[in-house]
Amino acid sequence: MDDQNLPDDETLVRRTQNGDTRAFDLLWQKYSPRIYSLIYNMTANHEDSNDLLLEVFAKAYRSIKGFRGKSSFYTWIHAIAVNMTINFVKKRGRRFQLSLDDIDANVQNDKELIDLAATNSPIREVDLSELQQRLNEAMMKLSVEHRAVVTMFDVQGMPHAEIAKILGIPEATVRSRLFYAHRQLQNYLEEFRKK
Amino acid sequence: MMLDEQQLQKLLRIKRFEQPPPGYFDRALIEFHRRQRQELLRRSVTSIWWERLISSLWNFRVPSYAYGAAFGVFVVAATIIGSGVWAPYRDGRDFNTGRVAVLTAPSAQENSGNRLALNANLDWSKFDHAASSPKVVPVIGPSQTALPRYVLDGRPVSFKASFSF
Repeated sequence: MDDQNLPDDETLVRRTQNGDTRAFDLLWQKYSPRIYSLIYNMTANHEDSNDLLLEVFAKAYRSIKGFRGKSSFYTWIHAIAVNMTINFVKKRGRRFQLSLDDIDANVQNDKELIDLAATNSPIREVDLSELQQRLNEAMMKLSVEHRAVVTMFDVQGMPHAEIAKILGIPEATVRSRLFYAHRQLQNYLEEFRKK
Repeated sequence: MMLDEQQLQKLLRIKRFEQPPPGYFDRALIEFHRRQRQELLRRSVTSIWWERLISSLWNFRVPSYAYGAAFGVFVVAATIIGSGVWAPYRDGRDFNTGRVAVLTAPSAQENSGNRLALNANLDWSKFDHAASSPKVVPVIGPSQTALPRYVLDGRPVSFKASFSF
């Protein structure tokens, strides 16, 4: 079933609360790619992302009876994912290995990337996979809280207000974290350019 | 030249293309179902019962008038107790020590008529036994505060022995 033809979240949640496991499968179908992307960009490791994705949905399934609809399901499951990933990364500490997923072949035809490479930019001579690796390394130098904000805003394109709701912090804090994280990333990538 | 804000944002957007291999999410869903079944088999009856109880508590909603009723009961109880119409614990229980001091009627009379008298010979055993017609007074345990003290004309003069008279 195409995502656009799926029933709305409220209906699916109500059906799941009434014991319809198929409805939860549809919620999985709708949200698992976004949640995976969020976790992956915070952990930079495929195996960890896979385990966490399953744990996040297992937790959501266990807790869905208590979901009262005060926020959207989208916000709720993202909040579960962010909190579990932050806890996981903090427990893991520095013991991790980058495990990159392959970039989709479509990226080669992405208009933004072509534009970026065509202009007088520092990345024009950089190999794409190398760039991907550098980007991930730069991301991993950020604190996990900053990484979460960058992932949701820059990678997933969420608005500030939505991120604030997910993290339970004021919008101004989201903006300041973004500002600080961008400055740090610019510095890290500048070092790369000089090499 | 340093990356400007726009260039950085464009670079970060590339990360959208980092996707797991095709079919990954379908396989992950199958794995999710498998883990769910395993978890169900592993869990004890107690934990399932507990989860159901918690779930039913979540569903339990206190009607709004119940808060008003509870507040009303509190106000009435506070008024009754505060006005002294009814006072709990009048049965002689000492709140501090938990002891009940019971004196027989003559002993109590002696005690009340001669409160400031030299009481070095105070028989503490009186305080430990109930009598048939009890009169209840608060009691202080045999501590430092109850050491014998010397009195003159019914007024205490010292806590130490005096040899001046």
